Amino acid sequence: MDWLNQLNPTQQFVIFSAVKALVAVVVLLSIVAYTVLAERKICAAIQDRIGPNRAGPWGLLQPAADAIKAFLKEDFIPAHVRKVYFWLAPALAMTPALLTIAVIPFGSQLGAQKMVIADLNVGVLYTFGIVSLGVYGIVLAGYAANSKYPFLGGIRASAQMISYEIAMGLSVIPVFLLVGSLNLSRVIEYQAGGLFDWLVFKQPLAFAIFVAAAFAETNRLPFDLPEAEQELAGGYNVEYSAIKFAMFFLGEYANMVAASALMVTLFLGGWTLPWAGLNQPAATLAGGLAHVGIFLAKVLGVLVVFIWVRWMWPRFRYDQLMDLGWKRLLPLALANVLFTATFLWARA
Amino acid sequence: MQAALFYIFAALALVCGFLVVANPFSRNPVTSAMCLVLTLVWLAGLFVLLEAFFLGAVQILIYAGAVMVLFLFVIMLLDLRAEERRRLKRLGLVGGGLVAAALAVLLRGVIHEAAPAAAAPPAVEGTTEALGRLLFTRYLLPFEAVSVLLLVAMVGVVLLSKKELK
Amino acid sequence: MNNAAYIQLFKLAGPEMLIALAALAVLLVDLTLMRGAPVRARRVIAVLLTGVGGFAAALYLLQVPLRAVSWGGLWAVDPLTQLVKLGLVGLAVLTAVLSLEADYTDHVGEHFALLLLATVGLMVMAGAADLVLVFLGLELTGLSLYPLVALNKAGPRATEAALKYFFFGALAAAVTLFGFSFLYGLSGTTNLAGIAAALRGRGFDPLLALAVVFSLVGFGFKVAAVPFHLWAPDAYQGAPTPVAAFIASGSKLAGFFLLGRFVALALPESGDAGRAALFTPGWVPAVAVLALASMVLGNLAALAQRDLKRLLAYSAIAHAGYLLLAVLALNGAANRPAALAALVYYAGTYALAGLGAFAVAGHVERHAGAAALNHLTGLGRRAPWLAAGLAVFLLSLAGLPPLAGFPAKFYVFAAALNTPHAGAVSLGLVVVALLLSPVGFYYYLRVLKLAFVTESEKRPAGPDAPGNSPQGGENRFGVETAVALLAAAGVLGLGLFPQWLLGPLQAAVREAGG
Repeated sequence: MDWLNQLNPTQQFVIFSAVKALVAVVVLLSIVAYTVLAERKICAAIQDRIGPNRAGPWGLLQPAADAIKAFLKEDFIPAHVRKVYFWLAPALAMTPALLTIAVIPFGSQLGAQKMVIADLNVGVLYTFGIVSLGVYGIVLAGYAANSKYPFLGGIRASAQMISYEIAMGLSVIPVFLLVGSLNLSRVIEYQAGGLFDWLVFKQPLAFAIFVAAAFAETNRLPFDLPEAEQELAGGYNVEYSAIKFAMFFLGEYANMVAASALMVTLFLGGWTLPWAGLNQPAATLAGGLAHVGIFLAKVLGVLVVFIWVRWMWPRFRYDQLMDLGWKRLLPLALANVLFTATFLWARA
Repeated sequence: MQAALFYIFAALALVCGFLVVANPFSRNPVTSAMCLVLTLVWLAGLFVLLEAFFLGAVQILIYAGAVMVLFLFVIMLLDLRAEERRRLKRLGLVGGGLVAAALAVLLRGVIHEAAPAAAAPPAVEGTTEALGRLLFTRYLLPFEAVSVLLLVAMVGVVLLSKKELK
Repeated sequence: MNNAAYIQLFKLAGPEMLIALAALAVLLVDLTLMRGAPVRARRVIAVLLTGVGGFAAALYLLQVPLRAVSWGGLWAVDPLTQLVKLGLVGLAVLTAVLSLEADYTDHVGEHFALLLLATVGLMVMAGAADLVLVFLGLELTGLSLYPLVALNKAGPRATEAALKYFFFGALAAAVTLFGFSFLYGLSGTTNLAGIAAALRGRGFDPLLALAVVFSLVGFGFKVAAVPFHLWAPDAYQGAPTPVAAFIASGSKLAGFFLLGRFVALALPESGDAGRAALFTPGWVPAVAVLALASMVLGNLAALAQRDLKRLLAYSAIAHAGYLLLAVLALNGAANRPAALAALVYYAGTYALAGLGAFAVAGHVERHAGAAALNHLTGLGRRAPWLAAGLAVFLLSLAGLPPLAGFPAKFYVFAAALNTPHAGAVSLGLVVVALLLSPVGFYYYLRVLKLAFVTESEKRPAGPDAPGNSPQGGENRFGVETAVALLAAAGVLGLGLFPQWLLGPLQAAVREAGG
């Protein structure tokens, strides 16, 4: 490792950032692949079935089989679609989730390196900005398809995501009022003190609104109206097949992972655990790895909740969805901001 | 590095901005809207170069992520076939081109001739805290005026979109 | 900045807050307590609330501070701004009273709330001492007025009018903002006085000229000066008459006051080196061109109009030209107080006369379905009070003594002729204005001839046409008559005793320090 130390700081920074980004993306994509499998397994368990069990032991090679299938299938492009957008949309569907994880601290320290790709001081604004771009993939998919049901799905998606983005953005303001910074690493430091310093306990209302909005933003049940099979024959991605469809499919799961990671960071203490000194930045390599492990475990836990909810709950009607977003969550979030600000002001 | 990035972002913003209003390849309004999104993203890049991170992030969050999605929403719900078929009138093209050229020559001359003023001290620092502090102390009145403005916009939209009860 | 500064802000922006609170109260009461009540009752309540809010704000404004105060250089409060705001609040309340007959919409709460919020915008324009607030005031007013213009959804012209108003407004705002950005770039500050201080003594700078011309676009739009006037005739005709009255009166008064302050505060005075100095600040030739074009085009186009509201629109454009003469006269420090007082006096009396004329137009429109000129035939017999009011307003607009239009024109011309360094231009413009006066007389008198002399043989068809309505309800002493008589009394009184308004104005200008 001598050659590493001889490089100047800029070169080191570039190399370490590239490595971190690469590892993060690889881990994210594996999680995505196995979340799909987990979804099918859990669904099967809930419905008293066995689920995929042919490819490999307990079906563990199923994601590989799915990938091979997606690549080898004919990539059919219907004649009536708008070509440019038809190609663009699947790419856009996947990107935002990948960009989001850049600012999320997924561990404390490994050696001298902070386990976050970009430690921005406007971290959370960056996240929300990128998340807000996610809607383009869906809208353009609906538009590119140039037919009725995908189009309706796209329109529904844009209305839904914009509505819930507002609630989501407002719900986290109390968090930052308490923390006093938009930097996600600061948010985690704030929560390091103990279990009841976790913001989920300090701001339960914010957490509840954030969870609801996150479900809506990722188009998961009970808010999966953009792809409601019974009404839209599948939604915005009807005209897609093979690898392009897989991109949308994986994009949805990648978004779920990103949302879970954000939730863990903002409300569930990030990479910290309040026991055994795990709430301080790691001094040893093992400690650093443990922190990454804690973070991943928390993310996986939230993902299981995502999947669990999907198979237990029915879908909202569209007007109920809009009512909930605009007439319930939004005023609640605003009231929470006001309440928290007043509380802090009174205490000061 | 900074200068190179500036020229890259500025050039991309200009090209995309041109494509918004005069796309030679497509008369499709959705394409124009998407080009506008790209323009806004490059502008956010320029903000970041100026170390105005908050503005950059908000530019993406509000304009690219929310306002333009609503634009797309509306454009998609309109019947745009007539718009796509519409041919440019030659007279309008020539007239518009002439005016644009004249304005460009004028602006070029003016900016070329203008003595570059001493760099103004930045009133707003890049950090979010400083911005927020400024907004709630010195610029409190404009800030409140903006909130009234938003209220007006909301009331106006509701007024225009609601049916008469009769 | 500590808590004391916030309290001071509360004090200084009190009237605006009261009006904004009244707007919220109107909205709230109409949407909760009055839900399901008859529309007429809702309108009465809304007018009452508007009146209470306006009265409270006026009381607040009457506690004129003895000397000019400023809040952080952003917000100016001095006797002059208080007087102008008082006028704006008065105009808003009169407009609200006129809107009592607004039977074209069910959205009573929104209607009056937007009217009040537009008033807040106008007051912000009047008090702004910083480019940020200037722009916010312009936008707040504009955004409140666009939906108001489109209020009459059943009317075919309303949507067209609102769209034209909106598109021109949006474009003008964009160009103005561009100009403001140049001003900021040149001076490094958004404070009006700071800009002047930074630019003083810089000599001729093309970029400054560009910045000034671009900035003037937004003001030109707001005051409907040629060539930014294209929206005005359609908006005045298509908008509900009370709204048109407000655009013609309140928007004009605040727009010209803001333009005057902008020119006087933010733009450096021209030097004293003869002809070349004329072009130093850049705004003098630009405003001169606007003034000339507005006077000529407004007066000549008014000749061809067949609709009272359109005619008033073109007359408004012509008056914008005369008012721009007063703005020109602001060049030169010695002449400034007199010119500013003349500007506000002219704009104020014009606003009163314009509002009254629109009140009459509203009455005609309500009874005949439109305000075409030939619907006026026989108005003198049918509604003598209104017709008398109309005569007062139009003759005042024409500039006939002893009505307020005469001293207004007199003082503006006098101020223009006293302008240093710009003698030839001002003299030429005043000559043009005087030459155009007979044209104005001609079209105003044509209207009055229709109203008083011509017998209405060809009665317009329709059940509500004048004389045909079963109740013959035109003679009823309606709100329009009341507003018209009030405005007419004001126009007559200020014409006979111009010092009533001019005296306080001059004192206020002296107090405000130019």
